[in-house]
Amino acid sequence: MMDNILLVAKREFRQILALKSFWLTLLILPVALALGPIFTSTLDDDEPTRVVMVDRSGGEAAAAIEARFAEDDDRATLRRLSRHVQRYELEDAAPQAPWTQHDRWYTAEDIAAFREAGGVEGAIELLGAVRPEGVPEFEAENADYEFLPAPIELEGLDGQEFADTAQVLFDAEGDEAPEMVVVVSENYPADPRIELYSANQPNSGFVTTLQEVLTGDLRTRLLAARGVSGADAAAIQSAVPAISVTTPPPGDGAREALLVRSIVPLALSYILMMSLMLSGSWMLQGSVEERSNKLLESLLACIRPEELMYGKLLGSLAVGLLMIAVWAACAAVAAFATQGTIADMIRPALEPVSSPGVIIAILYFFIAGYVGISAIFVAIGAMVDSMSEAQGYLMPVLLGILLPITFLLQAILAGKEGVMVDLLTWVPLWTPFAVLARLGMGIETWVLVGSGVLLAIAIAVEMVFIGRLFRASLLSKGQKPTLKRVLERFRAQPQ
Amino acid sequence: MSVLEVSNLIKRFGDVLAVDDLSFAVAPGEIFGFLGGNGAGKTTTLRMVLDIIRPTSGTISVLGAAPDRRQSAAIGFLPEERGLYSGMSAIDTIVYFGRLKGMDTASAKARGMELLARFDLAERAKSDIGDMSKGMAQKVQLATSLVNEPELLMLDEPFSGLDPVNQGLLENEILRASERGAAVIFSTHVMQHAERMCDRLLLLRKGRKRFEGTLEEARAQLPAHLAVVAKSDISGLPGVHSAIAMGEPEDGWQEWQVELDAGAQPESLLEHCSTSGVALRGWDEHRASLHDIFVELVGGEGVEQ
Repeated sequence: MMDNILLVAKREFRQILALKSFWLTLLILPVALALGPIFTSTLDDDEPTRVVMVDRSGGEAAAAIEARFAEDDDRATLRRLSRHVQRYELEDAAPQAPWTQHDRWYTAEDIAAFREAGGVEGAIELLGAVRPEGVPEFEAENADYEFLPAPIELEGLDGQEFADTAQVLFDAEGDEAPEMVVVVSENYPADPRIELYSANQPNSGFVTTLQEVLTGDLRTRLLAARGVSGADAAAIQSAVPAISVTTPPPGDGAREALLVRSIVPLALSYILMMSLMLSGSWMLQGSVEERSNKLLESLLACIRPEELMYGKLLGSLAVGLLMIAVWAACAAVAAFATQGTIADMIRPALEPVSSPGVIIAILYFFIAGYVGISAIFVAIGAMVDSMSEAQGYLMPVLLGILLPITFLLQAILAGKEGVMVDLLTWVPLWTPFAVLARLGMGIETWVLVGSGVLLAIAIAVEMVFIGRLFRASLLSKGQKPTLKRVLERFRAQPQ
Repeated sequence: MSVLEVSNLIKRFGDVLAVDDLSFAVAPGEIFGFLGGNGAGKTTTLRMVLDIIRPTSGTISVLGAAPDRRQSAAIGFLPEERGLYSGMSAIDTIVYFGRLKGMDTASAKARGMELLARFDLAERAKSDIGDMSKGMAQKVQLATSLVNEPELLMLDEPFSGLDPVNQGLLENEILRASERGAAVIFSTHVMQHAERMCDRLLLLRKGRKRFEGTLEEARAQLPAHLAVVAKSDISGLPGVHSAIAMGEPEDGWQEWQVELDAGAQPESLLEHCSTSGVALRGWDEHRASLHDIFVELVGGEGVEQ
């Protein structure tokens, strides 16, 4: 019996491997994953927004605005530096520098000290001295805004004329064309109107900061006008609480850690789903070919229907495992090629799936999931006479399997373990996906064992009924598989 | 010992009685014709012999044992509805079926190449079935049923859809298998093949056996017809069922269309005429064809000359 099952499986396997669509699909995922970051980086707009300040009040207001944006940029740079230092434990580079002090809000004094020590270039130099091999260099990001000198074309213009000329400047191509123009009126602060011309919808952050800076400036001036000394007024305006910020280190702590730990389990669940759908449809195509090419009687003269069915399932499983092996090999090559970055990310991600027990659980649920769901494809293939007919039955089945899994993956990504996740874990149709996806969050041993046993029982029962359906359907051509007929075939004994 | 023995076989599909108390046996080297119109139960019987479906009652013995796939090594089967994997090469297809019948790859390949060479397809051994003509694919399928040199070769409507050249090739293969000692059963509703090749025949109608025996025995089922030219009236001679005078006598010689009694032999009538002095000038015996027998016993539905 086993010989015949292996022969059928080998033929199924070779037939699927001979399909161009198999190779295309096999390569699409690694290629998409490789191209994804490149594509994303082309979409990322890390170029600063070019801003022109036209300060007709003397220049103080424009200077204050530019200084505030520069301070915000430096504060953001300090935060990124601090995360980098914390992730790679590089505090020895400059123990007193603000960017090696992690749990705090960076004040104006911190920023001044940072600038005095050479800014980001100085920090990179210091980090370079202590950076171990394999740790990536800190990459500075561009500032959010770049302030350009006011173009001569705008001098002396007002109202519509100013707006038209600004538009011409916006429309000019090249790196020198401004994207926003901010006009401070001549009588500022007596006339507190600020005009903002923008090529696109202005960033709300920019507008908020602009408003904050100018509000502070206006209030300082008003306080001074009411007799408060300039220094006091400035002190009042700049008084801010000292906020201590505590965050988990990178790759640790609640949500981030959960995400990192769930990457591999979620990917396993997703890959199971994807490879199942693909190999299932190829197997279905093969089954329909056997029916439409009138091959079945020749086959059934040599082998039992059960051998044919198990052979198909085994062939499909082998195709799925091959796909996963190829994708895993691509991931390993990528990790090796980019050593530092990806390997560093993969290490904590592999942690929850690296114990022998979990590896056995992964293999069990993966194979059981494959066999359990592929059997549904086999049943459809045994009942229909054409691919178009098969598609009609496949669609509701796929929706029934895929929709809950999509919700499940989203719930786990959001770190939620609700009733739905529990329910899907115990319904054999979705058990493999739910268990694989939950491995990162941690799943109780009794749930793992219990759902595994239930899944095994369900597959055994499924094999009995689908075996009957398969046997009864093989030689009955031209009969629409109505629900009544399907139920009859579930009960059918060998004729 | 018979290669195949079927006893009191009954098969019902719900209310439909597909095979009704059928019994027959096929000996080694015998070519056995399984004749019947559409829906007579031929394919159902062959499927039961192959254990694809199970009988409602009755017994089947294939090489001394109940039908089982383990006997597939000794059985060759060519179904009525034919088809192969379009993406597989001819030789891979033959090897695949050979392996399913328990052969090792090397023997199946060697035997497959031998058959392809005999069928003039050796050069197309590695061609995909999908790239072959229908006739070529049919020859490959015939090779899949012969690859294991079966002791029991069952062919379901083997001549349907074949051109005359391939029909000749198939007849040769049937004779070759029979000479080798294989029992060959083929179902057909084309009478000329059965008439030419079969050692024995079985006629089925609505699942029930109407006749089993040799062609001569089948002919004996119908009254013989003669055209006789005699001097005297022969209607009263023993064994004559009816004698109709045709036209006017010429010089005293009258032509008669004679039908004998069922079972009466023309040779006996001739002997009686010569011993009793009945002068004869013409004696033409019209032997019943298998087609006539089939129409008489089974009815004319779905039968081809």
